[in-house]
Amino acid sequence: MIPEGTRYYLPPEAAARQALVTRWRELFAGWGYAPVELPVLEVFDPEHPLAERAFKLVDKSGRVLALRAEFTTALVRMARTQALGPGPHRFQYAGRLWLRDSEVSLGRLREFEQVGVEVFGASTPRVDAELLALAHEALAAAGLEGARIEVGMPAFVADLLEATGLDAERLARLHAAIDRKNTPELAERLERYGVRGALADALLALPDLFGGREVPAAARRHAISERAQRDLDWLEEVLALLPAGLEPLFDLGMARAYDYYTGIHFRAYTPDFGLPLLGGGRYDGAGVAEAAGFALGLERVLEAAGRPARAAAPDALALDAETARRLRAEGLVVELAWTDDLDELRAYARARGIGRLVGPEGEVAP
Amino acid sequence: MSFERAGLVIALPKGRMMDDAYAAFARAGFELPAARGERDLWHGDGERAVLELRGADVPTYVDLGIADVGVVGRDVLLESGRDLYEPVDLGFGACRLSLIRRPDDDRPIRRIASKYPSFTQAWLRERGLVADVVKLHGNVELAALVGLADAVVDVVQTGRTLKAAGLVEVEVLARSSARLIVNKSALKLKRALLWPLIERLRAAARTTSG
Repeated sequence: MIPEGTRYYLPPEAAARQALVTRWRELFAGWGYAPVELPVLEVFDPEHPLAERAFKLVDKSGRVLALRAEFTTALVRMARTQALGPGPHRFQYAGRLWLRDSEVSLGRLREFEQVGVEVFGASTPRVDAELLALAHEALAAAGLEGARIEVGMPAFVADLLEATGLDAERLARLHAAIDRKNTPELAERLERYGVRGALADALLALPDLFGGREVPAAARRHAISERAQRDLDWLEEVLALLPAGLEPLFDLGMARAYDYYTGIHFRAYTPDFGLPLLGGGRYDGAGVAEAAGFALGLERVLEAAGRPARAAAPDALALDAETARRLRAEGLVVELAWTDDLDELRAYARARGIGRLVGPEGEVAP
Repeated sequence: MSFERAGLVIALPKGRMMDDAYAAFARAGFELPAARGERDLWHGDGERAVLELRGADVPTYVDLGIADVGVVGRDVLLESGRDLYEPVDLGFGACRLSLIRRPDDDRPIRRIASKYPSFTQAWLRERGLVADVVKLHGNVELAALVGLADAVVDVVQTGRTLKAAGLVEVEVLARSSARLIVNKSALKLKRALLWPLIERLRAAARTTSG
């Protein structure tokens, strides 16, 4: 028995996982992202964004530890406490994460793997465009050419919400309605809270501000504060820097962690798969003055890409160690015989789909 | 007939709300594939497919992306805790989720029975109250009458049933009506199909509610 929300990965699937992680890590390395490794055990911090959802343990001194629930916070801690030298810094990571309460269903495991990158020490539209371009390539590397990246600007939502001057609780309720695109409730609450005029119109427009390239332009009409204008300027600059072939979707009402992301926020979707494949954005000031990054969910990406075919069979079954060495030197995948019983070996090779049986004197009839 | 993924998959709750949903979609100029027979689990024409589900399963099918959109009461949605878009209040199926007790019972609540345990638990937490929540599957009022619980949280439509049972509606905790719910990625990737539908359902809901 293994705990709910954890699972075994058997050969064909485990091989596909490893291969994809390797492809991603090589891609990121090619863009100058240096690997870092972080502890799985963390000191429990009630201020951690996922504090309530993390697995907790008690160590021998009675101190509460938590299993790593998210990479970004861990990297930020690393950046704050370690001497990294002059920036900007590009880091990549891959590893397991744990959440206590994830709904145990498709793509929502309690133990899961993420691969991602962070850029610390630079905050410009160029960095944001680089991250979007890299995310786009990472999806292509997973065979998900049909996936679309969706860009939001939580700062835009935050600036409009703050312009209302309402208290935190009311802002949270307005935000929840915007986040669920619950326009009827949003309208009713704005009325009740006495938010009127251009600001109310702008907030009411947010849930519907999604679609293609026309969206940032349409949002201009509702950028009623100087800060909101600047948010859109930044977004336009990022878009102008995107490589050909990367046509993002937009949702300017997307503002899940609007008090966390200080600039853009992005996700990626693929048809007929209900969950986002990656997530990221800019979070300047959340521990590090200038920071942005994204993380890919390995399980979700592989689920969306379709299950791997049967495990590839070895190229040959060698009857002795010397033959095996010689064939491996040619680049073949070779299993070594465990017995002299040729009939048994032939039966095994047939069952596994191994095409060649090779001994010291050469090929043996299969 | 085996299920093939249609261009648009719609999850509807069996029963009364299903009929209302068919009518609401028709008013919005969007014909749903006709229900075939009693025993069919889904109805479709290749372009559109309707899944006939238990109400509580509708948010699950939509959240996990099997269905693109669904119709479900807000009461069920609140209980599900699923992360979905709910862009349209369809107006029908109006009811309220209320705290119900025996008359003149003002002792502290130690145990609450409900078909909505998650919602009830969240309400207790928000109020800073501590009570056991017992999940029941039907006839929840009986739990209050016979003393299984000090209070129940349940759906109230007219209040007549309660009155007949000799119970009182102490407080309305949430108001509910049927909502259109939409899967998050479907809304983005099938915008051309879904956005006109949302706008027309909104317009139709406004006209009917006067």
